[in-house]
Formats: sequence, C-alpha cells, structure tokens
Amino acid sequence: MRRLIGIGVLVVVSSIFLGAGMVLPQETIKIGFFAPITGPAAADGMSAKQAVELGLKEVNEAGGIGGKKVELIIYDDRLNPQEAVAIANKLIEKDKVVGVVSGSYSGPTRVTAPIFQKAQIPMVVGYAVHPDVTWDPKEKRPNDFIFRNGFLGEVEGAAAAEFAIKNLKAKRISIISMDNDFGRAISAGFAERAEKLGATILTKQMYKFPGEKDFRPYLTRIKEGNPDLIFAAGYYNEAASIVRQAKELGIPTQIMGEEGFDSPKFLEIAGSAAEGVIIATNLDRDDPRPLVQNFLKNYRKAYNEDADMVGASSYDAFMILVEAIRKAGTDPKAIQKALLETRDYNGLTGKISRFIQGEVIKPVQIQVVKEGKFRRLGVVDNPEVITPPMKK
Amino acid sequence: MLIQQLANGIAVGSVYALISLGLTMVYGILRILHVAHAGIYALGAYVGWFSFRLTGEFWFSLFIGMAGSALAGYLVERFLYSPLLHLPRIAPLIVSIGLFTAMEEAFRIVAGPHTLTYNAKIGIGNLSLGSFQLTETQLLILLVTFLILIILWVVLSRTRTGLAMRACAMDAETASSFGVNVKAIVAVNFLIGSAMAGAAGVLIGVYDNQVWPTMGSIPAYKALAIVVLGGLGNIPGTVLASFVVGMAETFFIGILAIPFPRDAVAFVAMILVLMFKPYGLLGRG
Repeated sequence: MRRLIGIGVLVVVSSIFLGAGMVLPQETIKIGFFAPITGPAAADGMSAKQAVELGLKEVNEAGGIGGKKVELIIYDDRLNPQEAVAIANKLIEKDKVVGVVSGSYSGPTRVTAPIFQKAQIPMVVGYAVHPDVTWDPKEKRPNDFIFRNGFLGEVEGAAAAEFAIKNLKAKRISIISMDNDFGRAISAGFAERAEKLGATILTKQMYKFPGEKDFRPYLTRIKEGNPDLIFAAGYYNEAASIVRQAKELGIPTQIMGEEGFDSPKFLEIAGSAAEGVIIATNLDRDDPRPLVQNFLKNYRKAYNEDADMVGASSYDAFMILVEAIRKAGTDPKAIQKALLETRDYNGLTGKISRFIQGEVIKPVQIQVVKEGKFRRLGVVDNPEVITPPMKK
Repeated sequence: MLIQQLANGIAVGSVYALISLGLTMVYGILRILHVAHAGIYALGAYVGWFSFRLTGEFWFSLFIGMAGSALAGYLVERFLYSPLLHLPRIAPLIVSIGLFTAMEEAFRIVAGPHTLTYNAKIGIGNLSLGSFQLTETQLLILLVTFLILIILWVVLSRTRTGLAMRACAMDAETASSFGVNVKAIVAVNFLIGSAMAGAAGVLIGVYDNQVWPTMGSIPAYKALAIVVLGGLGNIPGTVLASFVVGMAETFFIGILAIPFPRDAVAFVAMILVLMFKPYGLLGRG
C-alpha cells in the first residue's frame, strides 16, 4: 500500500514537473534593469524599480508584446560603478537581454554605456544626467545605442535659470552645489544661462558628497550676501538639510532646486521648511493627460506612496523601449533603429519630439511645494534652452 | 557673520568632543583603538530615534539612546575585548573594525537603508541676538555637551572612582597592586565613554534631522584623528582638539571659502601635530 502511494506521489510530482517543463519553452522578451535599490540612494532606486514594475505589469496584462510576455531582469547596483560594470556584463552574456533600462544615477549609468554600446544592446536611461552617458568622450562620437529620457544636467540647470530670472525676477543669486557629476553639470548650466540673462552670481560653493550634512557654514556665508535666490544642486537628503538649515538660520531667501529634490523623502525630511521651494524637474503632477493621472493613481494604489520624478522617468524609459520592441521585434539593432526614429512620443514626463545624439527634446517642468506636495508652477519650453547642445 | 560661524563651529566641535572622549578614554586605559566606537555612536542615534518614535519624548529618547550605547559598549568590552587582552593589540583592533562593519550592515538590515527623520520638539527655543542666531538644536548641543563635560570633570577629579580611573590610565598594574579593581574601572570607562557617544548620536540625529546606517563612517576615522591630535589618552587635549577641528572646518568653508574638503581638516591638523608636537596639543615631552 505504502509503495502504491509512493508511486502515486511520484507520478503526480513528475507530471507537475513535466507540465511545467512543457510551459517553459514559451519565450519571453528579456529586458534588463538596474537601479541603486540599496545604499545611499535607496529611496530613488526603489522608486525606479517600483515604477518600472508597474509598467511591466501593465504591458503583460495587456498581452505582452506580440503575444510574448516581457520579463524584467532586475539588478541592484548599490550606486557603485564597479557593481554596475559587472551587472552590464551579466545582462549581456548571461541574461541575453534585448534591451536595457537604467533606473540609476550618472555614476553607475555612464560606466555601463560603453559596454552596451560595444555589445550593440540599446539602453534607455531614465534620469541620469551626465553627458558621457550618451557620448563617448574618447572616440568623440555619440553612443548611438544609448538614449536618455531625462534631461542633460546642463539643460535642466539652464531651464531653472530661465525660470528664476524671467519669472521669479532674481538678479543676485548664490549657488550651492554637490561636488559630483550631477551637481557640477546642473550648476554649470544654471550659472551660464543666469549670467547670459544678466543675473549676478554672488557665491558659488561646492560641498562633498557623500558625507556633508552640516550646511550651516555655507549658508551663513550665503546669508551675508543677501541674495534674491539660492540655487541648490544636490540629492534629496542634502537638499532637505539645506532647506531646513536655511530656515533655522533665519534665511528668508527663495530656494530653488532641481530634480534631485523631487522625492517624497525630501518632503519628509525637510518638513514644513520645504514649503515654497521651487524645483526644475521631469514630472508634472498636474498634467491633465490621463496617462499621467492614471500613473499617479495606480502608483499610489500599488505602493501606498506618491510617485516621484525618478519613478516616472524610469517608467517612461521602460515604455519607450517596449514601444520600440513592439515596432521592431527583438533584434537589438532593429530596436535601436526604432528608437532613433521616435517622433512625438507621448510620454508620462512630457512629449518627446525626438532624440538627437541620444538626448531628448522635451519641456522642463517647474514645480513648487504647496501644502507638502509638489504642484505645477510653470513649464520652460523655450527651444533655445531645452534643445540639448550638439556635441562634436 | 563671524560670531554666527563661531556658533556653527562650536556646535560641531561639541559633538566631536562627545564622540572622541570615549575613544581616548578607552585608549588611555586599554591601549586599544576602539574603531567600533563609531558604531556605538550610530547605535545611540538609532536607539534614541526608536524610543522617540514610541514615546515622542525627546529628553527621554536622549536618555535611552545614551543607556543603549552604554550597554552596548559594556558588552563589547566584556565579550569581545576582554578575552583578547593577552594578545597583541592588533587583535582587538581587527575585531573592532569587523564589528563596526557588521554594525553598519545590521542597522541597514534592521532599520532599512533609508534615512530616518528625528524631528524632535525640544522646547528650549532659539536664542537670537540681532543678526546672531543660535538655533534651538545648536543650543541643545551646547547645553548637553557642557553638562556632560562638567559631570565628567567632577567624576574624574572629585570622586574615588575618578581617581581610580586616572590611576588605571597612568599604570593599570600599579593601580591594581594598590587595591584598585581594574576590571570594574575598565567597565566604568566603557559605560561612560559609550554613553557620551550615544548622546552624540542622538544630538547629531536631531541636529541634522537624519539617522542613517553609515552615519558612523566619517566619525570613525575623524575621531581617531582628533584623539591623536589631542594626544592619545589625554582627556583635556581631546576636548581642545575637538573644538579646534570643528572650528577650523567651519572657518575653512564659511570664511576662507576655499574648496578644501571638510573631512581633510582633521587629518592635516593631525599630520602637523605629529610632525611638530608628537604628544598632541597638550602633550608633554
């Protein structure tokens, strides 16, 4: 009897395995994804991951691409470029993905760009700002397999300056910037445009990242010059400290930031000091298009928190890649060609007219913190500002 | 602006003093470089944060943070350093570095990788005189630090335990032959030093409104530089060195405005002192 049961169990179990084995051959379309899911940028990494997973669910629930399900291969780069190099190689050789989405910062993203370029695997970058993501500085030519959905640091900085001077009428400005690729690129773009429009830059200070938490010495110096506007370039933790400490020191000056501020963590840490802070970013929460409102609603429902710029940009990057695969099939070169031919793509973070040298042309959103939430304040769409500079 | 920067510098220096004192006391008595002390500091911030979350009482959370750190410091001494004291001093140093790394990872796993906010209502208010502004948290740091320093001074100079602590720091063997219970004194040393580090953790948590897993990594080496600057094991020297470094950092950034990395100040000072006054700022010899 016992033996009979044993055989019965064996038959059942093996048939399950066989059944599973029979399902296996059904092919999936593999897309790679990396983000700093742990480490100092974990909040952004999680936002990116969650948003892309939301996109994945939508795509697969609508039947996938041409009947095939999409499979997302997710890696955590911990904001560490060495880690990112290993991930890029794994995605190409082991996972054999047809395309990649970066949900990470400039540091990890720019080191993977030449690897994907060489392997001719297209990558769409959510929000990394460094120019060398889409450009090969050694060969002096664009990485034509890499596409950026977010803004170049310079473009976003220039757009912030455009708004600060034309709309906020700032004339005397102090800049405090994080000393890394991100902070340098954005503050350089800001300073150049601001000076071109006739504003004076009173002070320009850099602080160390990661590590700096005490901005009082910098802010005390800024206070002395009594500027009309403080432009701060940095990520959400540092941004929140700057905003709080400025308030503590009794500095009444308008603070303007950029997409690094665009995180629920910024609002949480800065608390009431965040009120009135203006940022240049890549997401308009008050955009009436159903695409945007549905995303915000679904994200809230799925994760019980508000979506941010990082999530929205990564979602867009994923959807842009999915769209290209839908048009061109699963050959990486055909996908790249489809990406090059993108025209007037209706993205979550705005309408992308097209990519030039891998860079988007898209309006920059200006948001203000009102009652603890980011709300629309304006849009910068001056072509002189938002067209990325051609590199030679 | 000068006075304002002075306030900024003293606040930072106070926190450095609280962290470094424990380190220098441990070195003074056991000759161990207690790197995990920075982990004890971060632990204090986490324990304080947690008890603040539960009760909403800042002063209570400060006390619990200090108690948590003191207990952890005692356990480290009792179970990790004490069994290794017969080995060369490199052994406890390696243990200490390993423990520090493990603690950082433990914070990340238990409390999550995100920055936690320590948004405490302290209720002592700002102090503003004209354009000079001592913020509430700066005032808090100054008050707590000076209170702790005074208590430490009284204990060390006016009590029998303090006398025994100083005797052990000078020469533990001789002290022991005069009937001092060296083991108990070492434990007291760890309790006091770790409680101060815990206080520093809570104060920084409130000052920056942030508690995060790697908050100990910069203090881990900066406190070491400060302790060397103060003359290893020298308590008044360490206090002085802490304020010198805090002040120098603030002035480099806020007044000279040269792009000199903040965290290098302590090391440049340390190198200069080693070259010209190898026994520390207040060292003899």
